[in-house]
Amino acid sequence: MPSGSTVPQYETAVPGNAVSVRNAVPSSDMVDVWWFDTRAVAVTPAGLAGLDRGERSRAEAFLFPADRHRYQAAHVMLRQVLASYTGTAPGQLPLGREPCPRCGAPGKPVLRPGPGAPAVPSFSLAHSGDMVVITVAGRPAGADVERDGDRCVCPLAGDLHPADAAWVAGLGDERERHRAIIDCWVRAEAVLKCTGQGIGHGLGGFPVRPDRSTGLSANGCMVRELAAPPAYRAAVALAGTGGLTPRVAASWTSPLPL
Amino acid sequence: MTPSGRADVAAITDDLRAFLASATGRDELRRIPPGTALFGPAVGLDSLTGTLLLREIQRRFGVDVAGEDLNLDSLATLGTLATFVAQRTRPEGGP
Repeated sequence: MPSGSTVPQYETAVPGNAVSVRNAVPSSDMVDVWWFDTRAVAVTPAGLAGLDRGERSRAEAFLFPADRHRYQAAHVMLRQVLASYTGTAPGQLPLGREPCPRCGAPGKPVLRPGPGAPAVPSFSLAHSGDMVVITVAGRPAGADVERDGDRCVCPLAGDLHPADAAWVAGLGDERERHRAIIDCWVRAEAVLKCTGQGIGHGLGGFPVRPDRSTGLSANGCMVRELAAPPAYRAAVALAGTGGLTPRVAASWTSPLPL
Repeated sequence: MTPSGRADVAAITDDLRAFLASATGRDELRRIPPGTALFGPAVGLDSLTGTLLLREIQRRFGVDVAGEDLNLDSLATLGTLATFVAQRTRPEGGP
């Protein structure tokens, strides 16, 4: 936690405690959006005890404590957010991975419905820098966030769909081009996280229309930009056609209501 | 590998470190050891930065890592990536 920061502080809960907040799984075209700043999360031993073996071994693999903290904060909070929808203790959530539809490799993280259990929400977790966004929906959803810094991202234009790349190339201002490339990136990655296909297969297979911000359909999903913290860009996607309405359950400027 | 080959790998490793530090604004990435798993959890690179690194390698060294290394074994660590790039850029080199 850097000195002088004004982000609110909150602690990760004790796994096994009664889950105090219950949220309804969003229906229809709604997607719940939970933002938080990992600098504001005090990861406790009790919170860490809720992580599974895979999460713990990944956390151990980080070289720098700050990266480890971001990972642990994201995963402890993910479990708490999901617990608030399912009523299951954070450490007992049946998390797994669906195979990538292209190559079969372990891909999209999912909650597995238990025997006789009601439908479980679909979720997506994304982080970049200090920020984390979690989306929760009644059907497959995907989210992505990326830093929109000073660096040049023009080499990524070749990874975009040709129509999007052509539109980006027509922008006169370099800063605008960088932003449009990042917008395309987060939209395409949100769509691929929604469908469960890894981005290793490329993300330029469908246009995501950087000239528009909402009402977009791509690769069997609805996708739109998502209001993001300063210096970040984000997008959310929802499987199917029709609408896509994000509802901010938690903002990066306020404590999580958990 | 020849002494000059080792020098190539060391220089390329330093280049990749410098690029990562600059692209992320994180100076500590200038000191990461060759065994660092760049595309694993080791340094928390996001997908955009990881792809930017591969495009920079393509621009600077003319090596399309993802296109030329079909098993992507070269992406295992910083050191394997630098070695792969060195092998592909030295005219007399190669595996």
